[in-house]
Amino acid sequence: MNDIRRGDAMLTDWRGAAQRFEAAVAGAVLGQEPIIRLVTIAVFARGHVLLEGDVGVGKTTLLRAVARAMGGAYERVEGTVDMMPTDLVYHTYLAEDGRPRVEPGPVLRSSEDLAIFFFNEINRARPQVHALLLRLMAERSLTAFNREYRFPQLQVFADRNRVEREETFELPAAARDRFLMEIGMEAPRDPATRRTLAFDPRFHDTDGLIGGIPTAILDPVRLGGIASAIQHGVRASEAIEAYVVALWEALVRPQTAGIRLPGIDDMAGLVQGGASPRGVAALVRAARVRAWLEERDWLVPEDIRAVFVPVMAHRIFLEPIHELRRAEIVPALCRSVFETVPAP
Amino acid sequence: MRLFALPLLALVLLAAGPAAAQLHGVEVRVPRTFGYFLGDLVEATIVIEAEPGFVLQASSLPQPGPVTYWLDLRRVEARQEGTRHILRLTYQTFYAAIDARSLDVPGFPLVLSSGTDHGATTAPVAVPSWSLGLSPLREVQPARRADPAEYLRPDGLGPRLDPVPARNAALALGAAALLALVSLARDRAWWPFRPRPARAFADAARRLAALGRGPESEQGYREGLLALHRGLDAKAGYRLLADDLDAFLARHPAYRPQRDGLARFFAASRLAFFGGSVAEARHRLPLAEAGATARALAVAERAA
Repeated sequence: MNDIRRGDAMLTDWRGAAQRFEAAVAGAVLGQEPIIRLVTIAVFARGHVLLEGDVGVGKTTLLRAVARAMGGAYERVEGTVDMMPTDLVYHTYLAEDGRPRVEPGPVLRSSEDLAIFFFNEINRARPQVHALLLRLMAERSLTAFNREYRFPQLQVFADRNRVEREETFELPAAARDRFLMEIGMEAPRDPATRRTLAFDPRFHDTDGLIGGIPTAILDPVRLGGIASAIQHGVRASEAIEAYVVALWEALVRPQTAGIRLPGIDDMAGLVQGGASPRGVAALVRAARVRAWLEERDWLVPEDIRAVFVPVMAHRIFLEPIHELRRAEIVPALCRSVFETVPAP
Repeated sequence: MRLFALPLLALVLLAAGPAAAQLHGVEVRVPRTFGYFLGDLVEATIVIEAEPGFVLQASSLPQPGPVTYWLDLRRVEARQEGTRHILRLTYQTFYAAIDARSLDVPGFPLVLSSGTDHGATTAPVAVPSWSLGLSPLREVQPARRADPAEYLRPDGLGPRLDPVPARNAALALGAAALLALVSLARDRAWWPFRPRPARAFADAARRLAALGRGPESEQGYREGLLALHRGLDAKAGYRLLADDLDAFLARHPAYRPQRDGLARFFAASRLAFFGGSVAEARHRLPLAEAGATARALAVAERAA
C-alpha cells in the first residue's frame, strides 16, 4: 500500500535519481539538507525558487550546485541598478570589422533549451527587469526579434540578500507570487559543520567545489513529464482536502479560527490579502512532490506542513502597520495555524 | 389665598397728595389677630388696589430677616392680579408672653411705579402697622412638684418599626452578594472552580470504551481514532502529527512505554484518514488495541 503502484516504476527510478541529486548537492553545500530537500521539491514541482538569506551563507553556491547537478542549459545574470530588460534579451557591440552587431542576450543565448535561469541579487534590478521576469516565469515565454520564444523547461532561481536595503527594489507582490517557494537560508548551526566549512580548504574554492559535483543527474527535457506524473500519481484523500481548506481558512481569517498572537490586538485586520488560490494550488503541488520523495502515493498532513512556510509565507500580505515585523509575525502565524487546525 | 371671612384690619384711603389718584386702597389681612404662641408662623396678606399700569417696585419690598426683637420675617411673595397687588408675608414670633397681650407689627413703605414713554411715575404706599395678640404657653407659677424631673413632659413614644422588611432585604442582598462571589470565583478560577489538570487520555479511553461496546463500523473506527487524536492534541497543547511523536515523548517521558502502541496508532490513523483504506487500518490496529493503548496512557496520566 505504501509503494507506488507497479505501473509507475518510472516514478520509482526517478526517485532514485532525485536522491542522487540531493546527495550530490549535499556534498558541496554542507549542513543545508532541509533547504536542499525544498529545492528538490521545487525542481520536481517545476516551480521557481527565490532564496533569501545573509551574505555568504552559500545561496549562490547552492544554486550553482543545483544547476550543475540538474544539467541542461544554464544562464546566469547579476542584478544591478542600471540593468535594463533589454540587457537580458540582446547584446549589441561593434565587431572587429567595425560593423555593429546584435546578438541574443543571456535569456535567448541557449535559445529554447534554457533549463535554469539564475538571477543573482534579484532585488538590485529595477522594476522594469522584474516585469520582464514576471512574464518569463508565469508564461515561460518572451517576445524578441519579432517572434515569440518559448522556454518549456525553464526554471528560474533567484537569490536576494536581506541585509542590504540601499539601491534595492522590493519585488512586487505579483512577482513574488510567481515564485513557488521563497526559502530563507541560514548558516548551519552544527559546530562540526561550521568547523569544516571554516577550515576545510575544499570549501574555500567554490569553483572547484562545484566542479566536483556529478553533472546532469536529472534530464530537464523529461522533468516536465515526471512532474506531471507525480501530480497525477499522488492521491489526496477527502480528509487531507478538508485539512488544507481548513488551514487556508485559518490563515486568511485567524480570528475566526481562534488564533491569538502576542502583541497584536486586532487579529481580524492582521491579514489583508494574499494566500491566493494559486498559492494553495502551489502548496498542494509541492506537498505531492514531498509525498513522492517520502515514498508514498498519498498525501499526509506532514507533507503540507513541510512545505507550508516556504510556499505560503511570501504570499501573505499583512496590514501595513504589521508589515515591518513581518519576519516574526508570519512564521508565528503559520505555526499557530498548524497548532490550531485539527488533523485529521 | 385665605381671603374668605378675613377680618378687615385696615382700609386706608390716601386722600391727600398727588399719589391719591393712583392708589385705591391698602388692606392687611390675617387669619386671626389673637391666640399666637412662641414660635408660631403668622401669615399676613397685603392687598393693594392701584391704577392700571402700576407695578410694585421689587426693591421696595421688605427683606426677610428680623423685623423687631421679637419678630422675624421669614418669607415674602409678591404677585399681581390685574390692578390688585398681593403680598404674602410669613412672620414668625419669638415673643415669650407671660400674659395675653397685643403687640404692634410695624408697617412699612412700598413704592408703586408706572413706566411710560414720557418718564416714570412713582406712588408711595404706606402699609399700616397691625396688632398681633400673643398668649403664654403655660402659667407663670406652676404647681410645686417633688421631683424636678416631673416638670418635664414625658418623652413621646417612638414608633414601633416592623423588622420583617429590613430582615428580608438583608437576606436577599446577602444571597445576591454570595451569588456574585460565586460567579467571581468561577470567573477567577478560585477554589471550587480551580481547573484540575485535564485528564485528556482518560476522556479518550472512556470514548473508546463506549465505541468498543457498540457495533463495529468504519464510522465508529474513525471516531475512536479521532478521540485518541484529540486526547493527544490536548495533552501536547497543539495538533500532534505522526512525525511529532518522538518530540512529544521527549517532552512527556511518562508516556514513553507506550511508544510502540502510539506509533502503530499513528500509522493506522494515516492509513484510515489519508491512505483511504480503513479496512486495512482496522486489520492492522483493531479498535480494541487502540482502546488498550488509550487505557495505558490514561493510567500513566493519572500517575504523572
